[in-house]
Amino acid sequence: MPQKRSYKAGKVVDRLKQKINRQAMLSLEACVHCGLCTDQCHYVLANPDDPTYAPAYKGDWLRKLFKAHIDWTGRVAPWWVGARSVYTDDELEELKDVVFGKCTNCRRCSLNCPMGVDMASFNRIARGLLVHVGVMPEGVAVVAKDQWEIGNQMGVLPEDYLETLQWMEDELRDEYHDPTIRIPVDKQGSDVVYTINPREAKYDPRTIAEAAVIFHFAGENWTMASQGWDMTNFGLFNGDDELGGAVASRVYDAAERLGGKKLVTSECGHGFRSTRCEGPNWARRDLPFPMESSVITMLRYIREGRIQVDKTRNSEPVTYHDSCNNARSCGMTEEPRELLNLVATDFREMHPNRAENFCCTGGGGAMSMSEYAPRRLKSAKIKADQLRATGAKIVVTSCHNCVDGLFDLIRHYKLDMEVKLLVNLVAKALLVPERPVAPKPLAGYRILVIDDEPDVRMYLGKIFKDQGCEVQDAPDANQGMRAIRSAPPDLITLDLVMPKKTGEKLYWELKRDEKTAHIPIVVVSGYASIDKPRIDFHGFLAEKNLPQPEGFLEKPVDVEKLVSTVQEVLVNHRGGGRE
Amino acid sequence: MHQSSSLLLFTENQLQIVALIFMAVVYSFKIRWILRFPAARDRQAPGSRVSINATNATSARRGAVVSLMQVATPWAMASTRSHPLLYAGFAVFHLGVAASIAMSFLIPYAPAAIAAPAAVGILQAVFAAACLAGIVRLYRRIADPHIRAISSPDDYFSLALLVVWLGLSLLAAPNRPERAEWPLTAYFLATAFFLVYVPFSKISHYIYYPFARWYLGRTLGYRGVYPLAGS
Repeated sequence: MPQKRSYKAGKVVDRLKQKINRQAMLSLEACVHCGLCTDQCHYVLANPDDPTYAPAYKGDWLRKLFKAHIDWTGRVAPWWVGARSVYTDDELEELKDVVFGKCTNCRRCSLNCPMGVDMASFNRIARGLLVHVGVMPEGVAVVAKDQWEIGNQMGVLPEDYLETLQWMEDELRDEYHDPTIRIPVDKQGSDVVYTINPREAKYDPRTIAEAAVIFHFAGENWTMASQGWDMTNFGLFNGDDELGGAVASRVYDAAERLGGKKLVTSECGHGFRSTRCEGPNWARRDLPFPMESSVITMLRYIREGRIQVDKTRNSEPVTYHDSCNNARSCGMTEEPRELLNLVATDFREMHPNRAENFCCTGGGGAMSMSEYAPRRLKSAKIKADQLRATGAKIVVTSCHNCVDGLFDLIRHYKLDMEVKLLVNLVAKALLVPERPVAPKPLAGYRILVIDDEPDVRMYLGKIFKDQGCEVQDAPDANQGMRAIRSAPPDLITLDLVMPKKTGEKLYWELKRDEKTAHIPIVVVSGYASIDKPRIDFHGFLAEKNLPQPEGFLEKPVDVEKLVSTVQEVLVNHRGGGRE
Repeated sequence: MHQSSSLLLFTENQLQIVALIFMAVVYSFKIRWILRFPAARDRQAPGSRVSINATNATSARRGAVVSLMQVATPWAMASTRSHPLLYAGFAVFHLGVAASIAMSFLIPYAPAAIAAPAAVGILQAVFAAACLAGIVRLYRRIADPHIRAISSPDDYFSLALLVVWLGLSLLAAPNRPERAEWPLTAYFLATAFFLVYVPFSKISHYIYYPFARWYLGRTLGYRGVYPLAGS
């Protein structure tokens, strides 16, 4: 009597038949169980006596299913060819433990298989079958749900994201004393649309700021999107092509909506692979714009002389960890090294490296599966040994997942190292170009501010200093007169209402004295207006046969009006400019 | 001149032809079956290396070629670099299989080509080494828990079948029916069984693996991975 199959197991079998394409089928048939992949896996190296960690063993779950339901030899003689189906929910849980808990999909086994069997793809397909029936670690379910619902895998809300960008923009303006630095959002027709990992917005916004300052000094016409900014894609990790296509489409839609000419992803291995390589296939879209990693963008900027760097600012010994997705699935191994050598003085290669590098152990969504953390950290020993052997103080990588994975293992194995991204080093090495200083309108003039109110003196003084002139102030008419006599200013701002001697009196004294009569005076008073001058001041001027002051401004003072009035008075008075 | 028995003549000729036709028919069904699976398409733009340090240009074609060549370039993969004896065993074993297949055609149709004592000696040395390599592989499959855990009866049987076949090849290589016909008869009976059994067994990997390698290499070459940058 045939064994009864659970509902979920039945769905898994049905789904299997839809998911096997020609490449997967050939791979499944080509495996000869030679075992050469075994010691290429970091899990096996940490668990040498447990055959269930071997890549071929993990991949065999899918092969057995394939044999049982698709390959007729398995249906005719299942025992003979090792076919095995799934019948119970417990078996699905067992499979979950294997494909989520014992593999990071790093693809090292695939590239070391003499037969070209892509074991990592088997693992991803198996994950997808389980996810289809809701069997997955809770962390994976939560992250996938966030990406479906909120649009990014860390559930960053739109207002928090935009606020973070504004915060970083403000920080940069303060840090670089440059009000022109911007983190543009939704700018149409940009040459670069920059997408990030939500980890940056949530935990590491400094990387956004560093990228922004690099774009700024490179003179890039760039923008970020208010929606569709998360280039990470949990569809790669959970094997759900539908999620993968939806997430990738959001990013592509954003680039198209903004009319961007190029999509640049920040440093994230799986995000780069998902967006650059897998996304168009999952989403079934042919895209009109190119995509590249920010590693390549930064390298171009330095090569083209768009930014200047000083590598001596990164003088500590550094090593480079190749992200699995960058190296084994996207071929990006040389660009980060070239860039690293341009921004650091002591680069030490890790062995093995590039496509043969060992996984950080945080890949494949492992960081979201806390239940497997002890296994993950145990399997990280080979990585820790690799890192320790370099003697480096900093391990640089181009992947936020790797940053987290490496950070964890460094702490676990007590390594004296820190983890950085390439953007951190490039930003540190960045030479800020001398900005051409715009000529300040009042540069070279000396202005005396006479006002009894300290706040007004300070306020006016700051405005004039910002415009480049030298400022002196006096709290009353007598001190003002002494200052004038000791060093005549180019212009005086005069308050009329002051204790002891009034501004009117001082004005009269100045204008009747040949030595001071030529000094232009701008009255800044609550009682002075050019249209409605105070009666007694107007009468006063008439009575004394004194000329009108060169300017009238009513308090509170408008900055632009003050500057333009003073500038106009000075220019007219000096006949067109500073001597 | 020695007159071979009708049994030997039958096993050398008609039986082989029937077995070969049977194998071809089964494979034609298999090819149709393979083509029923949709082939995935790469929609993304091709990847390429932009670093000035990247000396190897990548492309789908180069990737596919490099991938296919990896079976003959043991230095190209860490797995074969770190297990040179296993790789040597693989090479010798498959050389023996190829030689035995060739011998199954040469004995009935061009016996003079392998009649010289030196040729016989070389063939026997190859078969002996291949048979030994097969025994080592069989032992490894039984003794290594990692491989035992994934081995099916077909895995053991296919390997044992080839070990026996290589042993019979060793005995048949002198092609001296006048001394004894049974080594030749046994060899050709085993060859015929081998031909009939192969399409249903893991030995079919020789058909699948070039395509698996080609697809993997094409994809990785297109994405800028193959040929690998030096480690």
